[in-house]
Amino acid sequence: MKHDQPQLIDALAAEYVLGTLRGAARRRFERWQSAEWHIASRVRTWEGRLMPLALRLTPVAPSPEVWARIEERIRAADVARADAGRRAAARPGLRALAAALVLCAIFAGGYFAWHMTESLQLQTVATIKGEQGPVAWSIELDTRRERLRAVALAGVTAQPGHSFELWALQPGKAAPVSLGVLPNAGQLERVLTPAQRAALAIAAQVAVSLEPPGGSATGKPTGPVLFVAALNRA
Amino acid sequence: MSDPDIANRMDQELARLIQACAARDRQALRQLYDLMSGQMLAGMLRILKRRALAEEALQDVFVSIWQRAGQFESARGPARIWLLAIARHRAIDVLRGERAELYREADVEQMPHSGMEGLGDWSSAGRSAAALARCFEELSGEQRRGIELAFVNGYSHADIARVTGEPLGTIKSWIRRGLASLRQCLER
Repeated sequence: MKHDQPQLIDALAAEYVLGTLRGAARRRFERWQSAEWHIASRVRTWEGRLMPLALRLTPVAPSPEVWARIEERIRAADVARADAGRRAAARPGLRALAAALVLCAIFAGGYFAWHMTESLQLQTVATIKGEQGPVAWSIELDTRRERLRAVALAGVTAQPGHSFELWALQPGKAAPVSLGVLPNAGQLERVLTPAQRAALAIAAQVAVSLEPPGGSATGKPTGPVLFVAALNRA
Repeated sequence: MSDPDIANRMDQELARLIQACAARDRQALRQLYDLMSGQMLAGMLRILKRRALAEEALQDVFVSIWQRAGQFESARGPARIWLLAIARHRAIDVLRGERAELYREADVEQMPHSGMEGLGDWSSAGRSAAALARCFEELSGEQRRGIELAFVNGYSHADIARVTGEPLGTIKSWIRRGLASLRQCLER
């Protein structure tokens, strides 16, 4: 399924919340929304829109045994969780070894990356465009992924009173991380913060949202997501 | 106090209880249950039609709230919506799952078939409900009926085609257009 069709995504989110998306399509959509933040956000919007319908039903009191069963089940679940925690804690040696191995891998990887990529040439890592229209921005990173350059191209239609903001989408339901405001024309280059570099390292996609001038004040996207593009490994 | 204020205070109280559940406070789960189980069961019963099946799904919902309370973020929307959405998604999943098969022979409760029949008014549901009520008025009769049957009774496109006697394609288009109109109206 294509990821850059906001209308299709919105229609699927609506039918998912309404309940008419069924069977394999429903399960596929659930996997998709748990992996991608902007789809989960469409679902939440539709839940907010339609759920008041459910508040019009007259409440029906459950039978007394329902609460007793819930108590039994959460007690059993908590015991299982505590057991799992104790088993993990009982193996500190293994965990320390695993942590040491991970650290070694990080240092070795970092050293090789440093050696391999001494040249700081910029490479295009994402091309942001609408479904049909021309390319709006080209996003470039240097080979060490420390500097980001955004180049505005023919597909940019400036929105008076708004800024376009670039986001690194994070796996799972973690909130996206801002990579800064995009230029309406020309190009903009900036040095990435450690948090932005970390977010880019695990991101598979970037998104562009419409925000107040200068970008979102909350650190999270506040306006509609206009584009989503794949992030290529440089 | 106006209705939106009551709805708002209810959401704040529910949010506090969900956060307490995240901190493993079982008393808070009991309070959530007292406040919400009736509303949830009403919705689940309309979808699942069988009381034993709906009550078992209600158990699943509260176990799930206990386990997922830490994921709730009050900034992302009202607590009541979050809770009702968990109940609703669970009911739809059970509807087509294996468990529904086990209860097939059990007594099916007599449920109204006309969507909103037997429902209260919108006033208890707060400000978001007032907007939804206004936008529902703008839908055509068929679009409204399609959306109500799907949402309240948990009917699939095919179920709605059966009870209305309209072709499946017509039902799909009522619902698609109805949802698009609702979105347009609610965004105004």
